[in-house]
Amino acid sequence: MSENLPGIQETRELLKKKKVVIAGVGETEQGKIPDKSSFHFLSEASKLAIEDAGIKKDDVDGLVTAFSLVEHTFMHCTTFADYFGMNPRFFSSVAVGGATAVWMVAEAAMAIASGQSEVVLCVRGDNTLSGISSSGMLALIREMCHAEFEFPYGLTTPGGYALAAQRYLHDWGARREHLAAVAVTMRKHAADKENAMNKDPLSIEDVLSSRVIAEPLTKYDCSIISDGGAAFIVTTEDKAKELGIENDLAYLWGMGQGYSHQYLTTLENLDQIYNAVERSGEKAFGTAGIKPDDVDIAFLYDCFTITVLLELEGLGFVPKGDGGAFALEGRMEIGKDLPVNTHGGLLSQAHLGAMHHVVEATLQLRGDAGCRQVEDPEVAVVHGNGGIVSAHSTVVLGNQPIN
Amino acid sequence: MSEEKKAYNKPLPEFRPETKPFWEAAREHKLVIPRSRETGEFFFYPRALSPGGDMSEDIEWVESEGRGKVWTFSIHHMGPSKAYKGEPPYVVALIEMDEGVKMMSNVVDVDPNEVTIGMEVQVVFDDVTDEVTLPKFKPAG
Repeated sequence: MSENLPGIQETRELLKKKKVVIAGVGETEQGKIPDKSSFHFLSEASKLAIEDAGIKKDDVDGLVTAFSLVEHTFMHCTTFADYFGMNPRFFSSVAVGGATAVWMVAEAAMAIASGQSEVVLCVRGDNTLSGISSSGMLALIREMCHAEFEFPYGLTTPGGYALAAQRYLHDWGARREHLAAVAVTMRKHAADKENAMNKDPLSIEDVLSSRVIAEPLTKYDCSIISDGGAAFIVTTEDKAKELGIENDLAYLWGMGQGYSHQYLTTLENLDQIYNAVERSGEKAFGTAGIKPDDVDIAFLYDCFTITVLLELEGLGFVPKGDGGAFALEGRMEIGKDLPVNTHGGLLSQAHLGAMHHVVEATLQLRGDAGCRQVEDPEVAVVHGNGGIVSAHSTVVLGNQPIN
Repeated sequence: MSEEKKAYNKPLPEFRPETKPFWEAAREHKLVIPRSRETGEFFFYPRALSPGGDMSEDIEWVESEGRGKVWTFSIHHMGPSKAYKGEPPYVVALIEMDEGVKMMSNVVDVDPNEVTIGMEVQVVFDDVTDEVTLPKFKPAG
């Protein structure tokens, strides 16, 4: 049982005592915004999150950033501290690809729990769409796959996920419609998200008949590339009260990581991926003291449609192999069994890792999601995956303190 | 018949000390796979130390028959860069070798639509430059 995993009880006691919360969130406009730099987006998103929390810039004493695909820096967090004009007591750059944003929450929580910081600004921003060069795109896949034993064979980023998808379809007898259904649900949700890039209705047929990128994935199985920023403030319930923060708080209930592989060459089978997703979930759920059935809303990393199915199954929301049917039956829609990515995700809103997933989970738990609001959600799960389904991170958030 | 070899401008592997024997063998149209002498376990890609619990530096290179099966594949309709213009569709695959390790490669000499998971394949050597030979795979038979 997950309750018996090493560290679970201690972490649970710590989170009960410290009551780590997300107390403010901010999102800039998203899309093609060529007149703003990477550091402009980082700054603007930070300002919005600080203002949302209703605190002063000087109240922030910790900083967690990630990386930029456009402005390569040796020390991203301190480069931003300098640009934004702050003097953090704690600073860290988290760089685990798409698992980054979710793990920023954990990184901030660990800094707070160990007394390094009290109010941590977590922020990502990038002008990926406007700023990345074709050599930058090429560098991205070169770094994700093995430069010597994979890259020379013409693997693309979608191609890497296509290799996983093809095997998934084979192992479970699933069809391309099952993948396409994920894109359709994300598009439906994006229609109600103010800053979503793609809101036009999308059908299964549209996905299947769109341009094939890397079989079995078409254009709409792939996430969008965007410019924009997003940020959130992590602190404790006590500190939030002291600072007079009036927002409802999203409480951290648990966190966990899971590693499968870095290079697809060393992937033995699909179970290796499932196990990594499961391990991250097991630790997060175990610490939270919940089961997948207790989760009201899920934010799953949807860089490609296949990842959502692997995560739904790996986290235990549906039996292995059943993710496609779950998606095709519309059960991830708002108002159905398990609303997933109510903001439209990476497939339709914008791509900034899982930053928007964390922001939307917070807004939903606060009851601030406007016309996308799910009815009284109490427990949210956010999952990020970095590399080609290789590195996984999960957090559980609640609208009340962990009990 | 003298035919000018077209300049090869796609990505090439940059050899590291621990991978050099693999590429040197490939130039001689031999496929070699590293194995820990301590455990007898094959591993791939090549590393300086065995990735197993033995962490052994005592590694031997074993010549392979070059046979395996397609474990998964994707027909790429877009390449990663302009250097691939005119090339797609091409097949990128993970090959499960008879030795138990997997290798990423291209499946060539076949209509991409004929490739299936489980297809038996055999190594072929593509001398893409004077220095570099890429092991690729074609249907066995």
